[in-house]
Amino acid sequence: MTDLADRRDVETEVYQPAEDSHLLAETAVADLGDAPKSLALEVGTGSGYVAERVADETHARVLGSDVNPHACVQARERGVEAVRADLLEPFRSDVFDVVLFNAPYLPTDPDEERDDWMEVALSGGEDGREVIEPFLESVGRVLDPDGAVYLLVSSLTGVDEVAELAAAEGFSAVALRDESFPFETLTVLKLLR
Amino acid sequence: MKQSLMDIICCPLDKQELELDATETDDEEVITGTLTCTECGETYPIEDGIPNLLPPDMRDVEA
Repeated sequence: MTDLADRRDVETEVYQPAEDSHLLAETAVADLGDAPKSLALEVGTGSGYVAERVADETHARVLGSDVNPHACVQARERGVEAVRADLLEPFRSDVFDVVLFNAPYLPTDPDEERDDWMEVALSGGEDGREVIEPFLESVGRVLDPDGAVYLLVSSLTGVDEVAELAAAEGFSAVALRDESFPFETLTVLKLLR
Repeated sequence: MKQSLMDIICCPLDKQELELDATETDDEEVITGTLTCTECGETYPIEDGIPNLLPPDMRDVEA
């Protein structure tokens, strides 16, 4: 990819790794440690960065799914097994030991929503939880009963509110790590049943 | 996609098993083909090694 126009396309159509991606990858890798071979899915994998790191630094086989076709292509170029999907819909019951999700979480005024892939990657609707809610409702179906979810949540989205939504779906939430930035604090929640 | 993905994925509409029809493969992967639901008959394309398992009403959404 050397053509400037192509590169500009990639940068505007696929969310590139940022502080939240690094925090999610590091925390999940540290927590999984030397756990034996497992099957993991990163939902909304974007560039594939988190999925690639978890695959490289743990014993897990890691798939990446995204609704955005450009993201699927980029993730695959990184060596991630990519599936174009709406959240968890095309995955079988109880198959995953680990599910990771850096959800689109920025609260967005509906009048200001743009109709492009970057908006899909960033916006969590009016309260920042419009994607996290359906995710939490369906993740229990695909997750092994002993499996774990690693979810990156921002203070802008409401960590307590997300933990309450998870509790309503039968999960207990533990905050594994926090990192503060000028306008938000990022937290990695681990959800278990 | 790897053949072993068949044990992980299902039809996004009714969660039933899919049947693989590969038209182009390399050593490890299916590059082009289709996945057909054994129950409802809906088909999903595989292009450039990536299965598109969006439900049909979302498949054509391009921003």
